Amino acid sequence: MSEASFDMVLQELRDTAPSAPERLRDHVAALPAARSRRSLRLRPALAVAIALVLSVGLGAAIIGGITGSEPKKSVVVRLAPAQQAQPSTPESPFKAQRDVRRAPFELGLTLGSSSRLQRQDVSMRLRVENLSRATQSAVRHTLRLGGYVASANYGTNEARGDSLLQLRVPVANVQKAIARFTDLGTIQAQRISVVDLQAGVDRINRRLAAQLNVIETLEAKSELTAAERARLEAARRTVRQLARGRTSLERQGAYARFSLQLTTQKAAEKQEAPGRFDKFWGDAGDILGKEAIGVLYALVIVGPFAILAALALFGERARRRRADHRLLEETG
Amino acid sequence: MPTSWPTRRRAVREQRSFADVAEEHLDDVYRYLLYMTGNPHTAEDLAAETFERALRRWRRFDPRRASARTWLCQLARSTALDHFRAEQRRRRREDTYHAEAVDSEEPVFGEGLSPAIDAAVRSLSAAEREVVVLRVVLELDGETTASVLGIRPTAVSTRLSRALQKLEERMVSDVRG
Repeated sequence: MSEASFDMVLQELRDTAPSAPERLRDHVAALPAARSRRSLRLRPALAVAIALVLSVGLGAAIIGGITGSEPKKSVVVRLAPAQQAQPSTPESPFKAQRDVRRAPFELGLTLGSSSRLQRQDVSMRLRVENLSRATQSAVRHTLRLGGYVASANYGTNEARGDSLLQLRVPVANVQKAIARFTDLGTIQAQRISVVDLQAGVDRINRRLAAQLNVIETLEAKSELTAAERARLEAARRTVRQLARGRTSLERQGAYARFSLQLTTQKAAEKQEAPGRFDKFWGDAGDILGKEAIGVLYALVIVGPFAILAALALFGERARRRRADHRLLEETG
Repeated sequence: MPTSWPTRRRAVREQRSFADVAEEHLDDVYRYLLYMTGNPHTAEDLAAETFERALRRWRRFDPRRASARTWLCQLARSTALDHFRAEQRRRRREDTYHAEAVDSEEPVFGEGLSPAIDAAVRSLSAAEREVVVLRVVLELDGETTASVLGIRPTAVSTRLSRALQKLEERMVSDVRG
């Protein structure tokens, strides 16, 4: 068959194409009127969801930045932040010194409790003008208060001088010692810790009483069996050990440990606190960074599954397409 | 194929009522189903079902993604495939084959169509008739046909070429016979 005649065949197919039967036309015309309504479409919905997530993430970062950059209401009280307590005006240097000296006691920290045995550790760092004189004064004050010097480390060079004293001061005089050491110079740092030892002593006392009872009972007997003799010896050994332990605890509670560091060097310049704007950017950046890490983490976890799901979806669609074509090929 | 923003806006603006769209494309859908099934009664039933489906899904129709004709042809194809699958299951169940061929001497694929052409078209498979009706009778372009069939345009060209070749061979053999 020639090409022209075959084209005519195709044209005939076009020209004689049947119209829909009237019955079908009536049926379709009778279908109730439908109005196109806005419905949730995947791509716009996805775009809105992404925009929403981004807005929430950005909003959280901005809110976090704003709240983080606001001045803190609660002030962390540090023991004797010397530089902060320094006089802000030249006419009140002595008032500031007194404030610094009182600082530990205003916090309600009662040192040298008479009713309970406590171990007290005091650490102070002071800047002094004359290192030698300040060191001698510290030693003198310690001895006058009934204490002693456990160790001393003194050294100077052209630039600076340092002296580190390990002192022991009777607990009754801890407050006096702190006050006198404070007069030696400007406090750069101070730390006081108190550990209760009374509970340990009470425990030892109870065990001692029990063991002494055992000893008294056994010693009251006229004759002792071998087992009783062994028990008596063990009880005596335990009493000796407990007594040593109690003595050790009492020694710890009798003297406060002072670590006094004297230096001629000025404290490092206080770092300029970041402004509200810098803090805002810093906090917002931190939150954004955390969000980015979260998103990355989710992508790493979900990614392989999403790829597998997409592959399965595409595979299923291809399989279905082939099956449909095969069905149509088989259908005459 | 992505459309530009003004084109999309125009498409949305020109969105018409379902009744208008159904009226305009009723013949196309019927012809498509007639060629696929080779049976006017089945084609009529499937066309009715197609438009009922279309009505239910009308709110999901997005003119920016495809024209109404393409969308209706896709729905018609889906309806026809469901029908063929059901028929296949029924045949397997009953273990008998009941051809839906029309016994009448009247041409199936168009009034006034020569019996030789009608017979030749009838001898094609549904898959071959499908691509012939879309490309030749409904005169859809390659892209749109590919969109309806869910295949690539090159595959459409291949299928069409084979179908026409087969049609030509059948007609030649009829003439000789």
